[in-house]
Amino acid sequence: MEAFFEWFRVLYDTTGINLPFLYDSYDRGRMLDGFLTTVQLSVICLFFSVIIGIIGAWLQGSAFTWTRRIVNGYIQLFRNTPPLVQLYFFYFAIGTLLPKVETDWGGQAPMLGSFAWAVISLSFFAGAFNVEIFRSGIEAVPKSTVEAAEALGFTRLQIYMDITLPLAFRVCLPALNNNLVNLVKTTTLAYAIAVPEMLYEANQIWSDNVNVTEMMIFLLIAYFVLVGILVWAMNSWERKLKIPGYG
Amino acid sequence: MKFKSLIGAIAVSAVALASGSALAGAIEDIKAAGVLKVGVKADYKPYGYRDPSGSIVGIEPDLAKDVADKLGVKVEYVPVVSSNRMQFLEQGKIDLMIATMTDNEERRKVVNIVDPNYYSSGTNVLAPKKAELKEWTDLEGKPVCGIQGAFYNKKTGQEFGAEIVAFKGTAEAYAALKQGSCVAFVYDDSAIVAKTNDPEFSDFEMPLKTIDDAPWGLAVKLGEDDFKAFMSDMIKEWHKSGRILELETKWGVENTPFAKAMNEKYQ
Amino acid sequence: MSKPQFKTDLPVLLPAGIRKQHDNFRIRLWHGVALFAFCLFSSGYVFAVEDGAQASALATLVKWIPLLLSGFIFNIVISFCAMALGTFVGTILGLGQISLMPAVKGSSWFVTQFFRNAPWLVLLFFAMFLLPFEFDLGFVVIPFPDWVKAIIGLSLPVMANVSEVVRGAIASLPSGQWEAAESLAYTRRQTLWLIILPQCVKRMLPPWMNLYSILTMATVLASVVGVSEVMTLTGEALAAEGGRTDLLAPFYSFVLLIFFLYCYPIARYTVYLEKKFAVKN
Repeated sequence: MEAFFEWFRVLYDTTGINLPFLYDSYDRGRMLDGFLTTVQLSVICLFFSVIIGIIGAWLQGSAFTWTRRIVNGYIQLFRNTPPLVQLYFFYFAIGTLLPKVETDWGGQAPMLGSFAWAVISLSFFAGAFNVEIFRSGIEAVPKSTVEAAEALGFTRLQIYMDITLPLAFRVCLPALNNNLVNLVKTTTLAYAIAVPEMLYEANQIWSDNVNVTEMMIFLLIAYFVLVGILVWAMNSWERKLKIPGYG
Repeated sequence: MKFKSLIGAIAVSAVALASGSALAGAIEDIKAAGVLKVGVKADYKPYGYRDPSGSIVGIEPDLAKDVADKLGVKVEYVPVVSSNRMQFLEQGKIDLMIATMTDNEERRKVVNIVDPNYYSSGTNVLAPKKAELKEWTDLEGKPVCGIQGAFYNKKTGQEFGAEIVAFKGTAEAYAALKQGSCVAFVYDDSAIVAKTNDPEFSDFEMPLKTIDDAPWGLAVKLGEDDFKAFMSDMIKEWHKSGRILELETKWGVENTPFAKAMNEKYQ
Repeated sequence: MSKPQFKTDLPVLLPAGIRKQHDNFRIRLWHGVALFAFCLFSSGYVFAVEDGAQASALATLVKWIPLLLSGFIFNIVISFCAMALGTFVGTILGLGQISLMPAVKGSSWFVTQFFRNAPWLVLLFFAMFLLPFEFDLGFVVIPFPDWVKAIIGLSLPVMANVSEVVRGAIASLPSGQWEAAESLAYTRRQTLWLIILPQCVKRMLPPWMNLYSILTMATVLASVVGVSEVMTLTGEALAAEGGRTDLLAPFYSFVLLIFFLYCYPIARYTVYLEKKFAVKN
């Protein structure tokens, strides 16, 4: 394995193509951590944004006017402001107001770190889009289906969880797919609040080695592969969920 | 303000069109353009920062103005950050960089750093008094704020085992430090000394021994040797006349040993 | 759902609940403004009580507002230019995607997918650091200052998205349109320009405006690469005020507010257009 890595050092010496994240063990560690952080951040945000979408769409169908208004307000606020500024706002403005906790080095740190804030901020951002996506899916479910369930005595929550949502889910998968791809791309913003994700680590490496071109091309390929995996997984899931005659 | 630079850019391009791509010396090019574009920091009080009207002020912009006056051209400040300043110079976006950059061998390969050095500072940390830091090794395993693109990040991380949390600019780093997201902020000691005098940071101190006391270099593009020679004379003149000491006083920094020593050396 | 299971223990039918119809309530612009103003003032107030010695956060913000607004105008300029450039190249690319020549079709498809799947921020870095400062065409030298690079960097993903919008709009037209034109002896080019594209414009408008709104919000990314737009200026203003933490909330709220004021009307208008152009089924 080391010989394989050493080959890249030789490549640098002979051709000038500098890929320190392969031959330098410190940089390799950084890059690997960055990659794992990006994957972790993406997966956690994907999960929470879908949950927010499902709950939001349920609340949007609520009988209380104010519940619907608050959900609508949330959607509009998050959709019409830049996610980067939201991230700053959460991390610097709200983060400062939170109670402090003792840290293991004896200091006082805010309750939530940059990674947690990135998860919260990005999940709410993508969640705002997911609510709309789920709502459009729910609207596609024929009224008669819901009425039939009502006639059988299902409660509103039961109708939502057992009838509307499973059907709506199939309808909105393509749009959801698209939004989740966007979410993975948006995780790069966490760079701005120093979450050590892939772009952040790449930037550290190119600051030290002045090899912007190589790092840039590597980044583009890495994200292309990550997004490709997500698209492939979602597409195969979409095929699996297909019911004949629906969607 | 933005439109001014827009118009400036159009004017420059018009000049570029008129003169074709004639390869004159850097000084002639600047004189022909009528503008000296200088890369300076815009978030590094008091060396380069913005006032509410949007213009960039501070010690380094004043130095840049001196250069432009000597050349008989107008000066245009291009705000740079640590992670892009060398790229900007390489690409010719700026003619001259006076941006708190520490002089070192690796950077000399990429840009043309002018001798002698115009200023100097070392690396230190700003930390809350409560943290009771004594040694650099106390930072081991603790989060330490930094600035993206600063050379001491890797050192602090690798040698002292600190977890570097690097931000884009100083505003973010100071905010993160105050909020307690990191135990210290690793930065240039000259800026930290200025900061500890700020009432906002009265609970903070500069507890460690300054390391890597290294001179700052202003730089021109590689290959522009006539401009480099010109700048070299300029810096000697600054040291001789005590201009640096004067500017330090003007912007509220105590005179640094380096500036005093250089002033004596060139008498 | 193999085993039969009753979801309710009620033996009789419930009275059909009044099913809520989607009411016409929408959030209006002033709701957002009110919320932000509340954030702004409350944060200003809380901290003003804490230390009366310094200028209150709000007064400090007011001092910097003119500069921040000039930065925001620059954001809008960037968004206009990037949109224009992206739309122009993207349309060509989109038409390339429906080309009959496999090479053109394949390469257009690849370029579109590549730039669609790359993060905006990475593309911006890409443009920022890898484009030359000036471009020598032999007879003219085109300078590329940083804001031009930001425009190019942002127009790359716009281009890819516009390409998909164009392709999608053309594909969404019933094939009968093509066949009818063919039977009237129109050439492929004539069909495209005279029949297909005019019908597509209506369908493309809502997604196009949506894209514009996303682009406008993405212009703040230029701050990460050092263009002097509103976010950069906010950071610099905060640095000049000496890292006061009480300023963070009002300053960032203010940036959120101006973007909301600009983007929300666009979003509303997009929804209106979508409804107006909706295909009745």
